[in-house]
Amino acid sequence: MKLNMLASALVAGALATGGAAAQELIRIGAPLPITGPLSPEAQKQQRGYDLWAETTNKAGGVNVGGRKMKVEIVYVDYQSNTPRAVQSAEKLITQDKVNFLFAPFGSGAAKAASSVSEKYQVPTIAATASSAQVYDQGYKFLFGTFTPNDTLTEPLADIVRKQAAGVQRVAILARNDLFPLAIAQEMEKSAKKRGMNVVYFERYAIGTLDHASALSQIKSQAPHWIFATGYTNDLVTMRKQMADQKIEAPLVTMIAAPAYQEWIDATGKLSENVTSAAWWHPAARYKGKDIFGTTENFLKTFRARYKSDPDYAEASAAAAGAIFQMAIEKAGTLDRQKVRDALAAMNEMTFWGPVKFGPTGQISSLEPPVFQIQKGKPTVIHPAPIRQSDLQLGVK
Amino acid sequence: MLTLQILANGLVLGGLYACIAAGFSLVWGVLNVINILHGSFIVLGGYLAFFGYVKLGIHPFASILIATPLLFALGYAIQRALINRMIAAPVLLTLTLTFGLDLMLSNAMLAAFTADFRKLILEPPLGVATLGPVVMPVDRLVAMILALGLTGLLYLVLSRSRIGRAVVAVRMDREAAALMGVNVKSVYAVTFGLGALMAGASGPLLAMIFPISPLTGPVYLGKAFVICVLGGLGSVPGAMIGGLALGIVESFGTLWFGPEHATTLSFVLLIAILLLRPEGLLGRKGYA
Repeated sequence: MKLNMLASALVAGALATGGAAAQELIRIGAPLPITGPLSPEAQKQQRGYDLWAETTNKAGGVNVGGRKMKVEIVYVDYQSNTPRAVQSAEKLITQDKVNFLFAPFGSGAAKAASSVSEKYQVPTIAATASSAQVYDQGYKFLFGTFTPNDTLTEPLADIVRKQAAGVQRVAILARNDLFPLAIAQEMEKSAKKRGMNVVYFERYAIGTLDHASALSQIKSQAPHWIFATGYTNDLVTMRKQMADQKIEAPLVTMIAAPAYQEWIDATGKLSENVTSAAWWHPAARYKGKDIFGTTENFLKTFRARYKSDPDYAEASAAAAGAIFQMAIEKAGTLDRQKVRDALAAMNEMTFWGPVKFGPTGQISSLEPPVFQIQKGKPTVIHPAPIRQSDLQLGVK
Repeated sequence: MLTLQILANGLVLGGLYACIAAGFSLVWGVLNVINILHGSFIVLGGYLAFFGYVKLGIHPFASILIATPLLFALGYAIQRALINRMIAAPVLLTLTLTFGLDLMLSNAMLAAFTADFRKLILEPPLGVATLGPVVMPVDRLVAMILALGLTGLLYLVLSRSRIGRAVVAVRMDREAAALMGVNVKSVYAVTFGLGALMAGASGPLLAMIFPISPLTGPVYLGKAFVICVLGGLGSVPGAMIGGLALGIVESFGTLWFGPEHATTLSFVLLIAILLLRPEGLLGRKGYA
């Protein structure tokens, strides 16, 4: 509610000030699901965007060909409704006259809205879209900060193959939802490619309250590796119910919840040795040339502002802003075509990691970290430059 | 082996479902009000248990004794102050009213507690009980027994106590009850209060098992709907049978058709019941 009002106020304020102010400001449109079931995700995105805008404005603004310009994020609430996300994107471009756009949340909405930004030739960065299908439409103005889904499962499967040769039987339980299902299917491919035997693969419906019977079936298959996907509530319940049925396995991987502190808090001791992967992790140590600079500095700024640690979704949103800034400064103009070309040609280090976009616009340079909860803390086990510990087997 | 475990899973889940639905069914059956607030009441009960345990060290079972009078008072006040004013209006209007109240309550909880999913972790945990090949978490077992006990208690209150008989009388014939000297408005408020009390009792029980967040309210509400239609509106044994039936159907649905179709199966069953036995498994005119 509060956010909704805030968003309306921002939009109303932006409309009231009109054209004159627009010349002094770089305005970036952000259609977000501020209300509805995806609202927690929208809050994360807003925290990232706002942190970038505040940090940049505090430093005087973006250097556009020698002139410092402040930035403003124009939010529109699309109420977790994808068709409305597309309308919101169009409204931001045609009525609010934003210079650039952040894509709406997730792969589905980002793909749907990308046809609008392509039509109006507005450079757009998607901070939360990983599926390759979002980028394979031949569009020139869409860029994304997430690598394809298989970059999360492949390194993990490699590590397991190398360090735990005995792991043969894999059970996969996936939330029947765009990203959680896609990542589970990638896992199935990664496992089979390495000669592992997928003994169980089922999907559960969105809104499933209880997983006891699916877990009983998994237990009866005696898997070595349990791979479960879903969001925080699903995976908190599932981890507890595994303990309830005394299900133990050398390896338990859960995506995406363990990347969030709230999951670790909610599962307590049961989080120990659960592995996961995400596109970014606070334990990463990159020396960026963006407004935030090093990952440490980004963490410091984020903690000072929000009194908590950023997760990959918040970091990605902030990175999307920082990347826009680098592209605008490189282009030295707000001309959409030139900024687009600067994005396409970008090859820079940031606090988020190395940023270089592939031919489809999806980032190709990033190596997503694999991590494991060890002694209650997420610990990076891959890639080598930021590794903190080795993979530990045994989840009880 | 597996079949026994699945049956046990279904039974304990069903016990919890019965507890979720009993208060909802009571309010719907007696007041003809579809109480959209019910899910948020459960979540509120869950938060009381969570903070009671984390901040004050009160065991969630003891929290039930705190949550029930509080929720009863809240429900009583809401009915007295708001719903009674439009109780004679068509069911859609009271539904809209409770929907609006639910938006306010769940947003207030979002503002106060954030959308983070929290989990009440008992220290030490209650552990698991093993019975031959069947493994059962003790917290679920106790919660199921308490849930069925509470539902039975509600049944006794309605069938034995003076106020309970008044509730049933109003449910059967409002005018006649009023003529016999029953204070209908007060009975309505007590009924709504009892519905909220049952939600307040299930909150702490569910908090030990499922993560708590204002976002889970609608999930509980959806289950309550299905259970009420399955078991029959306005019948406490109906809520119990409906809850157990749903728990078992979902468990075996998962085994036979995969977890993806467990929910589908329960809705197919729902449609079948609506077509073949619209009054529900145990539905009948009088309450209790």
